[in-house]
Amino acid sequence: MVLEGLRNAVTKFLKGGSTYKDSVEEFIKDLQRELIKSDVNIKLVKELSENIKKKALEEEPPSGISRKEWFIKIVYDELSNLFGGDTTPDVEPKKIPWIILLVGVQGSGKTTTAGKLASFYVKKGYKVGLVAADTYRPGAYEQLKMLSNLSGAMFYGDQNNNKAEEISINGVEYFKNKNADIIIIDTAGRHGYGNEKSLLDEMRNISNKVKPDEVILVLDSSIGQKAFDLAKQFHETTPIGSIIVTKLDGTAKGGGVLSAIAATGARVKFIGTGEKIDELELFNPSKFVSRLLGLGDLDALLEKI
Amino acid sequence: MFEGLKKAFQKLSNTIKDKVEYKELKEDDVEEVLEDLKLDMIENDVAFDVAENIIENVKKELIGYKVKRGESVEDVIKDSLKNSIMKLMEYENNDIITKIKNKCSKNEPFVIVFLGINGVGKTTTIAKFSNVLKKNNISVVIAGADTFRAGAQEQIDVHAKRLDIPIIKGQYGGDPASVAYNAILYAKSRGICTVLIDTAGRMHSDVDLMEELKKIIRVTKPDMKVLVVDALTGNDAVEQARLFNDNIGIDAIIITKIDADVKGGVAISVSSITKKPIIYLGYGQSYEDLKKFDPKEYVNNLFD
Ligand SMILES: Nc1nc2c(ncn2[C@@H]2O[C@H](COP(=O)(O)OP(=O)(O)OP(=O)(O)O)[C@@H](O)[C@H]2O)c(=O)[nH]1
Ligand SMILES: Nc1nc2c(ncn2[C@@H]2O[C@H](COP(=O)(O)OP(=O)(O)OP(=O)(O)O)[C@@H](O)[C@H]2O)c(=O)[nH]1
Ligand SMILES: [Mg+2]
Ligand SMILES: [Mg+2]
Repeated sequence: MVLEGLRNAVTKFLKGGSTYKDSVEEFIKDLQRELIKSDVNIKLVKELSENIKKKALEEEPPSGISRKEWFIKIVYDELSNLFGGDTTPDVEPKKIPWIILLVGVQGSGKTTTAGKLASFYVKKGYKVGLVAADTYRPGAYEQLKMLSNLSGAMFYGDQNNNKAEEISINGVEYFKNKNADIIIIDTAGRHGYGNEKSLLDEMRNISNKVKPDEVILVLDSSIGQKAFDLAKQFHETTPIGSIIVTKLDGTAKGGGVLSAIAATGARVKFIGTGEKIDELELFNPSKFVSRLLGLGDLDALLEKI
Repeated sequence: MFEGLKKAFQKLSNTIKDKVEYKELKEDDVEEVLEDLKLDMIENDVAFDVAENIIENVKKELIGYKVKRGESVEDVIKDSLKNSIMKLMEYENNDIITKIKNKCSKNEPFVIVFLGINGVGKTTTIAKFSNVLKKNNISVVIAGADTFRAGAQEQIDVHAKRLDIPIIKGQYGGDPASVAYNAILYAKSRGICTVLIDTAGRMHSDVDLMEELKKIIRVTKPDMKVLVVDALTGNDAVEQARLFNDNIGIDAIIITKIDADVKGGVAISVSSITKKPIIYLGYGQSYEDLKKFDPKEYVNNLFD
C-alpha cells in the first residue's frame, strides 16, 4: 500500500550498509514523507523529525542493541509521547453524573459516536442518557433515538424546540432526575467559519450553561491539513478535554489527530472502526503509531528492544 | 474560498524574482523554488503523490527552457505550473442539465447515483441538486436507498418534503437496490425526468459494501455515477477517488463543505486521480449552497 516505502526503508535500515549518520539522514527523509502522506501537519513533521534526528545522533544505545534498532525506538518514543505515552486512557467517570459534550465538524461522526459511547458505558453497568441537541440537521433526532434504543441508553429530545441550549439544559435536568450516571449531549456539526460564526456562539452557550465535565472533539481520520486550525478554533470556543478519531476502518492514516493534539493538548480516548454500535475501541498509542508509520509489526520490533 | 492555495502561489513571485537571471533554465535554477512550491501545495491539501507528480512535470518542462529577452522567469514558472494544473482539471464536462433534458425528451428518466464515504454530504447534496432541478423546471424523484444508517430515511424524507419532491423510501435493513429500482419504475410510470439515488456511505476499502453498491449499479443502470468528496479530506482523497473509480467507475465529482475555509487542494487531487470532471461545489447547508464548478475560474483564481 501507500506506506510500503517506509517499511522497505526500515528493512534496508536494519540490514545496514551505509554509515549510521547517512542512514539516519536517509531514514529521516523517508519518515517525513510518510508522515506527510499520513496527513500529519507539515510544521509538526519538521519539528518531529528535527527532534528525532538530534536524539538519534546524540544519544548512545545501551549495550547489546544496535544503533539502528535504537533509532527506531527513538522514533516510536517521540511519536507515542505525543499521545501521552503508553498508558491506557482513563475513561471512568470521575463524578456522577458525568456530563459529556460531543463537538465536531459536519459529518465527522458525533451522533454515531454518541451511540457507541452510550453502548460502551451501558455495558460497563452505568445508567446512560443521550441528549439530542442538534436542531439543524434533518433526521438528527431520529438518528440519535434509534441509537439510544440499540445501546440501551435513555433518550431525551424535543422536536418542538429549536434552541439547542435549552434542550441541553432540560436534557441534563431530565437525566439528573432519572439518576443517570453518564449524560452524553450530541450537538450539530459546525466548522465555525464564515456564516457559521453564530454556531460557535451556540456551542459556547451550551457549554456555559450545562458545564460539561468533558468536551470531546470528534475528528474524522481522513481530515487533511485543516485539522490544526479547526481543532484550535473548537478549543478556543470550549476547551477540548479529549478526542475520538473516527472512520479508522478506511484507508486514512489519521495523522490529523496529531494536529488536534497539538492544538488542544487533549488526549485521544477512543477510536471508531466502523459504523456499528460496538465498533469503538480504546485508544492504543502503539497501535496507532504503527498505523501512522505503516509499520504493522512495530510491537514485535519494540519487544526485541 | 481556497485562499490557502492561492496565497501559496502568490508567494512564488517573491521567492524567485531575483534567483534566476540566466537565459537557459537549469535544474539548479528551479529545484529549490519547485521544492518549496511542492510543500506549499501539500500544505494546502494537494495529496503528496499528486503534488510530486505535478512538480516533476513542471520541472521537465522548465529545464532547458530558453528564457527570452524581456520574459520574466517568474512568469515562465507560473505559466508552466498553471498549465500543468489546468491539464489535470479540464475534463469533458457537458452540462448535466442539458443531458437530463435530452434524455427526458425521449421519455426516459435520467438516473444518477450518488456515492462516497461516510458523512461527506451525499444526502444533503441530493437535496441541493433537486433544488437546482426544480428551478430548471425539471421533474425529479428521490430514491432513499440508504436503508442502513440510523436516521437516514427520516433525513432524506424531511428534505423531500421541504422541497416538495416525491420520494421512494425503503425499510431499514431492506435491499437498497430494490428501493432504487422502484424509484425508476415510479419515474417511468409518471414521466418524471430525473431519479436521484441516495446510497449509504461506505468505505472504499470495504469489499462487501462495494459489492452492494455494484448491485445497485447493475440493477439501476444509471446514466451517471457521482462521487461526493469532502473538501476537508487530506491524502485519503486519492485512495477514495482511486478505489471508487476502479471498482465502480465514476462519471463526475462533487466536492462539499468548501465553506469550511478549506485549503482547496482536494480538487486537484481527485481530478488528477480520476480524470473525471468536478461538476459542482457544495458550500453550506442550505439548499442554495451548490454552485457549478468551473476549472478555468478555479485555476485562474489560484494564480491571480
Ligand atoms: N466507516 C465508519 N463510519 C463511521 C464511523 N463513525 C461514524 N461513521 C459514519 O459517518 C457518517 C456520519 O456520522 P454521523 O454520526 O451522522 O456524523 P455527525 O458528526 O453526527 O454528523 P452531523 O451531525 O451532520 O455533523 C455516518 O454514515 C456514520 O455511520 C466509523 O468509525 N467508521
Ligand atoms: N458546512 C457544510 N456542511 C455540509 C455541506 N454538505 C453537507 N454538509 C453537512 O454535512 C453533514 C453530513 O451530510 P450528509 O448529507 O448527511 O452526508 P452523507 O454523505 O449523506 O452521510 P452518510 O449518508 O451518513 O454517509 C450534515 O450535517 C450536512 O448538513 C456543505 O457544503 N457545507
Ligand atoms: Mg450528528
Ligand atoms: Mg446520507
